[in-house]
Order: sequence, then structure tokens, then C-alpha cells
Amino acid sequence: MAQCRELYDSVLGGNAKKAHDATQAAIEAGIAPMTLITESMVPAMDEVGRLFEAEEYFVPELLLAGRAMKSAMELLRPLLASTGEKMSTRVIIGTVKGDLHDIGKNIVASMLEGSGFDVVDLGSDVAPERFVTAVEEYEPQFVCMSALLTVTIPAMKTTIDALNAAGLRTRVKVLVGGAPVTSRYANEIGADGYSESASGAVTLVRNMVATA
Amino acid sequence: MRFKVISCQILTREMNQVLAASPHSIDVEFLTMGLHDLGASMSSHLQQRIDEADSDGYDAILLGYALCGRGTEGLRAGRTQLVLPRAHDCIGLLMGSRHVYQNYFDTHPGVYFRSPGWLEYQRPGQPLGPAHASSAQVLGERRSREELIAQYGEENGTYLFEQFSAYRRHYSGLTYISTGVENEDALRAQARAEAEMSGWRFEEVLGSLSLLQRLVHGEWDAADFLVVAPGMTVRGTLGDAIVEAE
Repeated sequence: MAQCRELYDSVLGGNAKKAHDATQAAIEAGIAPMTLITESMVPAMDEVGRLFEAEEYFVPELLLAGRAMKSAMELLRPLLASTGEKMSTRVIIGTVKGDLHDIGKNIVASMLEGSGFDVVDLGSDVAPERFVTAVEEYEPQFVCMSALLTVTIPAMKTTIDALNAAGLRTRVKVLVGGAPVTSRYANEIGADGYSESASGAVTLVRNMVATA
Repeated sequence: MRFKVISCQILTREMNQVLAASPHSIDVEFLTMGLHDLGASMSSHLQQRIDEADSDGYDAILLGYALCGRGTEGLRAGRTQLVLPRAHDCIGLLMGSRHVYQNYFDTHPGVYFRSPGWLEYQRPGQPLGPAHASSAQVLGERRSREELIAQYGEENGTYLFEQFSAYRRHYSGLTYISTGVENEDALRAQARAEAEMSGWRFEEVLGSLSLLQRLVHGEWDAADFLVVAPGMTVRGTLGDAIVEAE
């Protein structure tokens, strides 16, 4: 199946309106929603991630690409729901209790979504109990947490403890990130994975899905 | 004893006040604020200054820093021991105790902090100096609405500005930490005005120079200070001790 070049270009270039229009046109031309995601959006977000790693793209470009991707997804999501097609992997994501800094989390969420994962964004300042009920409600394969402050980092451990206490810990993989988080800390609190960057988070989830 | 203080600019007035009363002979060097935005590379800037002071035969190098988002992690003591107060950041330093800060933080969600130094030295929108240009570039978050629109167009530039300033909507209060330095009234008024302008609740708390005072007086009890012996490095533990040497 040929790639929808316009959709690919508009996501890569961060043009939300063009992404919306290209998606609309592709739907009208009879291209299947899932095909648009896997053939056009995922490769575009991969390229966005690559450019970020290469320091050709920076935080603004990530945000704009994520926004363009979302404008396409808004059209595709209802269609996917009506055909019963599902993304195979669900991720819930939020910043931990006490932490209101969500730019990084938003970028990770949109990159995961644009990479073909079903993302449930719990927002910021998410209490451990809320993560627990969200795992029960959405039955995700992954729980992603972020923190920007060292004052709030301990809430990552509290959340993992709460998942343990609720008997849910083995049902999910817990991934953590945020500027002051390190892989060493991730190990210490019993997280399953850590990523330094948003594109790294996509690779991490992909690899864990592949080896699950 | 002879000490060298290497401190963040944010603590200028408070540090000078406690230095004036110290029984020891102390050289002091203030480094530009905002190093903490550099993340891991903050430590390399600090390490450079530490290494330079290392051969001068001080009895200790005292850091006017905290864990600072792990910006002090990895700092290594050369021949001279390093001393670092146990605190997450300058808010803990100025409240005089990490426990007072943690308690305040837990009971006051969504609060922004200001102190005399923050008000004096913070210039929003001003990029960091040339030495740190790479960080400003990577983040791209400190730019004005106009700059963002000029680069990304009206639509996208406006969106980016909203995204970068969205954190302000999550905040509901501004707390001014009064540290008792001279001429504080104007600074306090500035903080209050900033809170009013943003529609935030204004609160003032009384800080404490106890940590800084004990730092420069050489009273480094292990409960509140980490003494890093020669050859050892600083590591963030994120437990109650906040930092340890390894």
C-alpha cells in the first residue's frame, strides 16, 4: 500500500491543518484508517524521532509534529472504533503526584500515539490511586510515569508500591522518565524500563512489545 | 580554616550575609543562575570551578548548591573535601531545611517560589550566556510569543507559546521566601505584583539561613550536610538523605 505522502509530509512538517485535510482526502479515497496510521503516520513519527536524535529537530518541532498527528487521529479514531479495529498495545501515561510539569509527558504521549499505540493520557499530578484505578479500567500493557522534580520522584516508587499492593504490578510494564530520572533509579524502584528521550521511549515500548 | 565557596548567584545576598559572620577565611565565587537548566552538563561547569580551586590548598570547598535536579550529581572531590547541604534545590536551602520544604510542598500543590535572588537575577526570556547556548537551543522554551511566531508562523507559533506557558495555568500560588536580607521590601512587592498579574494566590513564608550559616561556619553535621572526602563523588539518593558520597 502506497504511503499517503501528504499526510507523511504534514506530520513531519508539523502542519496540523494539512494533516487533517490530507487524512480527510485519503479517507474519501477509500484508504483504510489503519493503513494510514501504519504506512504514513508511524514512518513520519519515526523520522521526527530520528531528526530529534540528530539534533535537527528540537522540542518545538516535536510538539508541532505531535499536534499534526493528533489532528489526523481525530478523524481516524471514530472510524477505527466503528470498524472494531484496535491498536494492539495500550499505554497509560501521566506525571506523578505533585508534579505539574507536563511538556515532556505530552511529547512522549503524542510520539507513542503517532507510533501506533493506544495512549490513555491521565494528565498531570496523577495520584498513585488514580494510576491503580486506570490500570483496572483500561487494562493497559504499559504504565508510563514522568517527574521533573527530585522532590516528586519518590512518587514513582509510591505508585509502583500501590500497583503491587493492588495485585496489578505483574500485569503491566512500568516505564519511567523525566529530566532527573536515571536508569539506576529506575532499577532501584523496580521499574521495568527507563528512557532518556521521547523517541527512546517509543523504541523502548516497541522492543518490549516485540520480546513480550 | 580557609574555605572556598562556590555558589549559585541566586544565593548572593544570603551567602554574603552569612559569610560576613563566619569565623573562617573564605573566598567566594558566584556562578550564573540557571545552570540547573543544563541538566547533566551543569556538573561539568561546576566541576571545572572545583578543579580550579582544588590546587589552592583550601581546607574545604563549600557548595552553595543542592541536588538541583541532579545537576550536582557526579561532582568529584579532588584533593580538597567538598561540602554540600542536603536539599533538593535552592528552595530547601532558603527554607533552611529539606523537611520544612517537603512539608510545605506536600501541603501547597501548584505553588511557584520566589526569593530575593530569583527576583533579582531572573530575566525571563533572556537566553543563557554563550557558554550554555546549546541548552537554550535544545529546549527552545524560553522564547517569547513573537519569536516563536516569527520562526513557526502565526498558528504554530501561538500554539507553541501556549504549550510552553501552559505550566503557568497549573500553578495557583506564588510563595515568596523572605530571607531577612536588607532592602527586601521592593523584592517582596515585586513578587506580590507577579502573583497578582498571574492571578495567583500570594503567600510569604519566613526562610532560614541556618543551613547556609552552618555551611560557612564549618558545622557540618551529617544529618544536614554531605562531606565528600577526596576522591569520592556526589550521588543523588532520592531518599531522605537526598545525596550521598560514593
